[in-house]
Amino acid sequence: MKTLKLAAPNVIPGRRTFLKGVAGFGGAAGAMLAGMNDGARAQGSAIPVGQAAPLTDFAAADGVEFRNGLIMACDEINALGGILGRPLEPQFEDTKQMGDATNVQAVQRLIDRYGVHAVINGYNVGSGSAIPDVIADSGIIYVHYDATLGHTSLIESDPERYFGSFQGCAAEYWYGPGFLDFLKSLEANKEFTRPNNKMAVILSAGVYAANIANGVKERAAEYGWEISMFETVSVPISEWGPTLAKLREDPPAVICITHFFPADLAQFMVQFAPNPTNSLIYMQYGPMVPAFREIAGKASEGVIYATLVGDLQDEIGLDFEKRYKERFGETAGHNSGAQPYDGAYLWAVGAALAGGSGEPDNPDQNRLVADRMRNLIYRGVCGTTRMNPANNAARAFPTEVNDPSLGMPHQFLQIQDAGVGGKLIAPWPYATGPYVKPSWLK
Amino acid sequence: MIRSPVRRDVVIALVLFLLMLAVPLLTGTRYVLTQLTVFFIWAVVASQWNLVLGVAGIFSLAQMALFAVGAYATAMLAYYIGLMLPAAMLLAALVTVGVSLVIGFACLRLKGPYVALLTLAIGQVMYLLVVNDTACFTTPASGCLPLFGGARGFSRFGDLGFRDLLGSKWYVGHYYTGLVLLLAAQLFCIAIIHGPLGLAFRGLRDNPGLALARGVSRMRYQLWVFGLSAFFTGLAGAFHAAHFGVVGPTAFAFAMLLFILAMIVVGGLGTTWGPLIGAALLMWADEGLREVSDWREIGIGLVLAGCVILFPKGLAGIRLRFSQGRGQRPDAPPAPPPHTKPV
Repeated sequence: MKTLKLAAPNVIPGRRTFLKGVAGFGGAAGAMLAGMNDGARAQGSAIPVGQAAPLTDFAAADGVEFRNGLIMACDEINALGGILGRPLEPQFEDTKQMGDATNVQAVQRLIDRYGVHAVINGYNVGSGSAIPDVIADSGIIYVHYDATLGHTSLIESDPERYFGSFQGCAAEYWYGPGFLDFLKSLEANKEFTRPNNKMAVILSAGVYAANIANGVKERAAEYGWEISMFETVSVPISEWGPTLAKLREDPPAVICITHFFPADLAQFMVQFAPNPTNSLIYMQYGPMVPAFREIAGKASEGVIYATLVGDLQDEIGLDFEKRYKERFGETAGHNSGAQPYDGAYLWAVGAALAGGSGEPDNPDQNRLVADRMRNLIYRGVCGTTRMNPANNAARAFPTEVNDPSLGMPHQFLQIQDAGVGGKLIAPWPYATGPYVKPSWLK
Repeated sequence: MIRSPVRRDVVIALVLFLLMLAVPLLTGTRYVLTQLTVFFIWAVVASQWNLVLGVAGIFSLAQMALFAVGAYATAMLAYYIGLMLPAAMLLAALVTVGVSLVIGFACLRLKGPYVALLTLAIGQVMYLLVVNDTACFTTPASGCLPLFGGARGFSRFGDLGFRDLLGSKWYVGHYYTGLVLLLAAQLFCIAIIHGPLGLAFRGLRDNPGLALARGVSRMRYQLWVFGLSAFFTGLAGAFHAAHFGVVGPTAFAFAMLLFILAMIVVGGLGTTWGPLIGAALLMWADEGLREVSDWREIGIGLVLAGCVILFPKGLAGIRLRFSQGRGQRPDAPPAPPPHTKPV
């Protein structure tokens, strides 16, 4: 692993050279932050910033990337002068198998032990309303990427109390309508023709997978789809035989799997490939993780998947990917690291605009920070973060807003070559290649 | 010099209580106070489990399940019925006693590892019932909530009122609540261990044949020990729920069960103060080793192994060894391992 040249503070050369050099850091926000710091060097008292991530157990692969993303952002922000001259000092707590009980204890420890001014997470599966309550009690800032409808409902229920909790992406519910819109656009472009109107939806127990599946089910009829199968599988699952038997008996035009464990999904493709049905396959999240392609190999080619938050394949996103992999290794998962990376910049810029961040039990200062974050249009490596002021959640493009400069792109990707990552096939203007008909489709 | 073991232990408990009362006045550090609050909770669980495992010699592994029952009952009573949290906590403790009596009754005909297996299985069944419950029972602002909270658990079920009373210093209120809970639990343990019940428990543990011949009913006293130890265990679970404001299936975690068991073994199985000493040492070691995350588990293992090898009767056994060496009568002899046959 290489260390960024600008990792250490106090390395600011000259204002013009410096601004030119940092243009890539955090997109436009990096330059903005540097401008606000006005040449200050990050040498004041450190600002502790925390992260509660699954550093061990089944989601550790993502948890480690979340940690890397925050470390990278903090180093870069420190090189830009920190927040008005105060460097950031990241602290971490393990959420292991996640779930509210563990997540809350981890966040509480970050506040009690380190006095963090903000908690910048990736996702923690099973997060409900508990962390925002701890955050509200301490009056600090919280940015997470849980992509949960529970966040939006909670903030709307009491925006005054939960002023400091932000979801850096849209709620998982939008995966459903977004997927149906995506199918519609494929059909409109004559890239996909449905052999019948049947759609099979396969989910796992848990709010995330269930909310997405329900989102598809609720709206399917509007798009002319009939849900021919709606099956909940017990996970982890490696034996897909019974499910595949049902699919082969009554082949649907589309198979939509909202369960998201990469290894489980890879096993589905391995067992589907020898005797495929004439069905387009959409999967949730799992194919984004390199392990999916490693396990499924050639059987992974053709699969479509989506994410509401991921590093874009554009100038800013590719630059981030390059720097991330230079630092953390070629196999590092930059898409996961991108989440807290963007979240950290969003908070740092908001804090700098507000005149500094607030420690625990300083809600007045943090309300100013939250106000700036809520009103900021921040272009990061995952696209545009623009909060819905009613619920402190980033809006999705094109499902929620139809202007790509005002919403975070709901990305659709397709694995076209098992040797490389997915190709971004929608939405415009971010797509980098066309949809390719999977080999098993007639 | 205080000769009576009961008086001596009560005096020690009160002195320690007074010292701990002063801690928030000496240090306002939030981290210290919240860690001590967590210590109070685990020390209560360890001391109550010690009554069953060490004093009565019943190899029950149900203590974390009882802890979870207390936590879940508190959350559910407050969430669904809207009870004030203090009232819900007391009711939850009584619910835990009821559950524990049922478990104790189920174990009556079993001994040693069979009790361990059954009680462990009961805990696992409870865990599976909770996490496999996925049907929406209600839909609050935070989304679908199954009857038992599912994999996510309960939150937003109220608090003890210290947030309104003390504002940002609410954790000081929790510290004192935990301290009073530990004092009450420890005085209760002292009364049991040194009283007629403790004598009966030890009699059944060390020589059940003789105890039965002297009219000590195994059924009655086994139910007594299960019921009595469950009250404060359930209350500790309830307070844990109130302190963190959340209850989830991690309350059943096997790793935590082993950690509490290690506290008792390291401190001294069957002794009055051993569980508290063990809890303090292992929590201190666990906290200190967080800085070296990769070595944390190994470090804890080394501490545990070192204590077991160097002090086979636990840290509290050191004092017993000294007092025996001076010809003094040990007040509460440490228990033999629960699975060994009495001679």
